[in-house]
Amino acid sequence: MNPDLFLLSDLLAELALRQLPCGGWAALASSSQPALEATCYSTLAVGLAALPSYVAHAQEFLLRTQNPNGSWPAFQGDEQDGAWVTALAVTALRDLVPAIPARLKAFHWLLECVGREGDWFWKWKFRTADRHVRFDPDKFGWPWIPDTLSWVVPTAFSILALNQLPCACGGFEKTPSRVERGIEMLLDRACPGGGWNAGNGVVYGVVVAPHPDDTAIALLALTGRKQDPLVQSALQYLVKTAPTVTAPWSLAWAILALAAYGQGIDSLYKSLIALPHLTKTEDTGTLALACLALDYQRTLSALGVAA
Amino acid sequence: MNPTRRDFLIRSAGLAAGACVSAPFLLPKYHVDRRPKRSRVAVLHAERYSQKLDQILAAGLRLFPIDVRGKRVILKPNLVDYAPGDAINTHPLLVLAAAESFRRMGADSVLVAEGPGNQRDTQLVLSQSGYQESLNDEKIRFVDLNRDQLIHTRLRASYTGMTHLWLPRTVLEADFLVSMPKIKTHHWSGVTLSMKNMFGIVPGARYGWPKNILHWKGIQESILDICATVPIHFVIADGVVAMEGNGPLNGTPRHLGKIVLADDQVAADATCGRLMGFDPGSIVHIAVGAKFLGNASPERIEQVAENVLTSRNPFQVVPEFRQLYTGF
Repeated sequence: MNPDLFLLSDLLAELALRQLPCGGWAALASSSQPALEATCYSTLAVGLAALPSYVAHAQEFLLRTQNPNGSWPAFQGDEQDGAWVTALAVTALRDLVPAIPARLKAFHWLLECVGREGDWFWKWKFRTADRHVRFDPDKFGWPWIPDTLSWVVPTAFSILALNQLPCACGGFEKTPSRVERGIEMLLDRACPGGGWNAGNGVVYGVVVAPHPDDTAIALLALTGRKQDPLVQSALQYLVKTAPTVTAPWSLAWAILALAAYGQGIDSLYKSLIALPHLTKTEDTGTLALACLALDYQRTLSALGVAA
Repeated sequence: MNPTRRDFLIRSAGLAAGACVSAPFLLPKYHVDRRPKRSRVAVLHAERYSQKLDQILAAGLRLFPIDVRGKRVILKPNLVDYAPGDAINTHPLLVLAAAESFRRMGADSVLVAEGPGNQRDTQLVLSQSGYQESLNDEKIRFVDLNRDQLIHTRLRASYTGMTHLWLPRTVLEADFLVSMPKIKTHHWSGVTLSMKNMFGIVPGARYGWPKNILHWKGIQESILDICATVPIHFVIADGVVAMEGNGPLNGTPRHLGKIVLADDQVAADATCGRLMGFDPGSIVHIAVGAKFLGNASPERIEQVAENVLTSRNPFQVVPEFRQLYTGF
């Protein structure tokens, strides 16, 4: 067996051990509170590894925790809608036929969910009175939670989720325009030197540094715009930065994004495998993401991204 | 010169705007007045980050009647993001020195906890900023507050209008919470000190990165609600190299050579404000916090160690916060 397969198998075994009796996963190994983001990555990871009992249990958990309005909360026991977890949940449930109604409801919720700058009053305020952060409020995407601004990660996840809809019909006619506006928002919020952070490229006239994980996630959502100069410049940033990263979360996202853009990832892949104590990582989302990066081709396919 | 109609209108508009900004803070919106009769603050001199911080801090802590024997001590540094050469984060050597001191003082456990507000990859910030290696070497556990188990917590003040926040169990169950801010200016709140540092306990996994809901509810208001709800037992502020200008991320490092210790968060922040050359009364969360959270008035602060000399060369701020200089 290859070292990477050994590692993948160890990581999956650890992931399986961490599944909670309810079917979800907590964000940290020390916690017993099921968290949706960690659960979605873990569901995808055990799904790709064909561990049916774990997958079924996880999918049941996801269906049980959906809010009546179609969104998902950040963790079980909370009722707040979360755009990023809703987008991840529809991806984690993509192969489950009984989940189709739940997914359709979630797609509708995502289409209705807009960053606060989508509202005319706030648009006007950001154009006139509050201009310290450079952005175009006409270009809005998705917030982490409603009643806040659009940010890069929830927008990228929502674009990836909505791209899974087979057509813009049957009540989903707005999808192409929402996705397009989300893409414009991502391009608008890029850091001037290339890449993305949470979503503030320039504040008080000063360029803010990009982050590798945010850049990778945005790039995954922009594979349809590979030739755009901003996408190319972000890609260059990630190609240059990823080899210096020693944290598994960012490294895993970088592998997925660079693989999606046909870049060489052999050395990054080896770096991920070589990280010490990866199976003991406290952060379960990171553990699952490492599994997904080690199985990047099938992960990209699950995300609807062509490698 | 007689005022013209235009002057009158401009002044009226200014007064109305001022009233709009101040109005939320005029009425008391807190449940309990937690101000001690007197607070104690020690300003220590530390020229640079070195192994000597250990001795400086241990000596400083002896100026306070602290008993942490058998207690769970949580050190909450300001760990936001990393940029080489910048003074963004509380220096890891100071955090290590604090951990060592509290261990020697008999704490049952000492752990470091933070939820970076800007960067989702906490481990990346830890490793880039030098924390990871130091914490591993000293076998100090780190808890990522962005992803910790959460408890639905009723707020003990209502400046934001929110009734509850989901807050991390690790912080709520601490016996002795130490806020360890970096002394910095902040482009939205004027300063970021021990009180603003508490934004880091609000979990990104529930509220997003950045914790944008706190901005929408009002930064000053959010600081007050959080600090009213989660008591800070002690402050160790890192002002060896501070930050001025466009903080908290893109300001300029500024050598101050000070560490500020306090048994009261408001007293700590008022003192840090004075060291920065500001009038603490013009910083909203300090001024309002002085009504129920702690003491800002020099008459109610017992100053030990060095005297606080107001800086002749105040910290630079973004134009919106020029009023911070008005007391001088």
